[in-house]
Amino acid sequence: MIMTEKTISLVALFDESTATAKAIDELHSLGIPDDKMVVMTDVPYPERALGRTREWLTLPYIVMAGAVVGLLIGLFLSAITPHLYRLDVGGHPPVGFPPAAVITFVFTMMAIIVSTFLGVLWELDFPSFGPAPYHKAVTDGKLGVFIEYPAELDAKVNQVLERNQADYVGEPEMISL
Amino acid sequence: MSEAEMLAYPEDSNAAEFEDRLLLAERKSSEINQAVLEPMFRSGWKFWLLVAFLGALVLWGLYAWGYLIYWGMGTAGINRPVYWGFFIATFVFWVGISHAGTMISAVLRLLKADWRRPITRGAEAMTAFALMMAGLFPFIHLGRVWKFYWMLPYPNNRLMWPNFQSPLMWDMVAIFTYLIGSTLYLYLALIPDLAMARDHTSKWRQKLYRILSLGWRGTEAEWHKLHRALSIFSIAIIPIFLSVHSIVSWDFAVTIQPRWHSTIFAPYFVVGAIYSGLAALATILVIVRKGMRLQEFLRTEHFNALGKLVMVAGMAWTYFWFAGFIVEWYGNEPVIRELIREEVSGKLAPLFYLQMTANLVPIVLLVFKKVRTTPWMLLLATLLVNVGMFTERVLIVVGSLQRNFMPFNWGDYSPSWVEVSIVVMTFAGFALLYTLFSRIFPYVPVWEIKEGRLRYTVRRIGRLLVPTAAEIE
Repeated sequence: MIMTEKTISLVALFDESTATAKAIDELHSLGIPDDKMVVMTDVPYPERALGRTREWLTLPYIVMAGAVVGLLIGLFLSAITPHLYRLDVGGHPPVGFPPAAVITFVFTMMAIIVSTFLGVLWELDFPSFGPAPYHKAVTDGKLGVFIEYPAELDAKVNQVLERNQADYVGEPEMISL
Repeated sequence: MSEAEMLAYPEDSNAAEFEDRLLLAERKSSEINQAVLEPMFRSGWKFWLLVAFLGALVLWGLYAWGYLIYWGMGTAGINRPVYWGFFIATFVFWVGISHAGTMISAVLRLLKADWRRPITRGAEAMTAFALMMAGLFPFIHLGRVWKFYWMLPYPNNRLMWPNFQSPLMWDMVAIFTYLIGSTLYLYLALIPDLAMARDHTSKWRQKLYRILSLGWRGTEAEWHKLHRALSIFSIAIIPIFLSVHSIVSWDFAVTIQPRWHSTIFAPYFVVGAIYSGLAALATILVIVRKGMRLQEFLRTEHFNALGKLVMVAGMAWTYFWFAGFIVEWYGNEPVIRELIREEVSGKLAPLFYLQMTANLVPIVLLVFKKVRTTPWMLLLATLLVNVGMFTERVLIVVGSLQRNFMPFNWGDYSPSWVEVSIVVMTFAGFALLYTLFSRIFPYVPVWEIKEGRLRYTVRRIGRLLVPTAAEIE
């Protein structure tokens, strides 16, 4: 356990998701808010399966903004620049709708892909290599719950974790990830 | 199911039927990690011999490319009228191969087909490496490769600007987009497994995985965001993969050449790409399964499902080929008639019959479950498909140029040693990249398999035990 004057941080490892969800519910009822708990797993559990609130994502908006930027770049390249560098080929007009549609479409899709990638990195706050509370047993199938709570709740928190069969309760591995 | 329930129906318990289902296999999470990581560390003399052999072929190909650059495009067999030859045929082939990655990964992910799980990474890697090989050919075909930047749009004193009306420009943009998309898609889905590898390795591997996993801890928020990003990727990359091979087909179809100038070319190319890509994936999976001893993950159920997909894609290819051919044949236009004659009984006949045999026979073979589920039989059938598809690309590119609409300008083509060496280099380069990838990165997507196991259980319905998937994605 990491103890400061007023708060304690610990990691509890569970074998089983139902017990984890129950422990989280009981920790909530002790007054520990969601943002003071981090649940770590080696497999994506369905949203709210572990008793946590659904998180708001800005990713779809980032992607939509990216798509608009891609569309504008595509239109600029395919419909405007041919007038700046005029090249008449085979009796075609300098800008034709079908070729412009192809280029605009591809640039829009490219921007969607790139903005999705950059957007998810931004949302995840990645890369983040600094020390972070973690336990390597998580990737071996344990469900890890990192908790920060006021020191006066220490006994009750430990009771909750014990009651729900946490098979390890201790200091988080503050390791550089 | 409880023990009491099992005892209630001891005589008709059919649980053994599902022993070959990966997602129902009894394995601890840590054991799955080890089973995936362990083959990555196994690199005996056979592995290094393979790497050396492939590396030698790549070096020879690079020498041939250097020779081509030094002496000019005249060292290639291309000529007037066959100004596109082996290079462009191979370029089309590699773009085609790249299609199965997206097909398997994105389409099956959206359809929630669970059998995809252990093979998605292999498919995605195939897409990325095949596109890298395809992307070399426009540079190779330039001849004066150092002037490639002339294709980029930037203000310059010569007042030169890429012609965005040209399909070759669409091609470059589309392939670049697909390469970026497929590489990022591969990487994004790899992050949780890189973190797993980080936690179980040491020395240079741990450093590499640590950097590439970007600080992944597997928090709920991370999983949620990753899932959302992969869903967006899956949706966005499908129109890209359809557009890429359509655009490649328009390189041909917008020109006034016999056979090429056809409205069916785009879907015909797309279907052919899916056919060859799926077949290539099956071939690779059989080889990797044997080479890395991944029998536990790449099972009969996966080969069976993949074999069915190859068969269906083959039928679709046959339909599109015939739909194009019958219209040409019925039209009886003199130049097209000559092109068909050249293929059926002329100089191109060996290639034509090889193409038809190699593409059609596997469809019949794959009807049989025995062929789909026996690795060496599946390997032969799918290798045959890609012999057929490569031949088809050569016929498309070379045939129409040899017998174009100006009979005084008809000609012949045979590839030079430079072309053959460079084409072989791309095959060796692809195999080399894939081999190294399979030893450096987790080849089997561990988290996807674990997610699938979370979904699956066996449920009793009446007197039967039935595998059942929960709706949790």
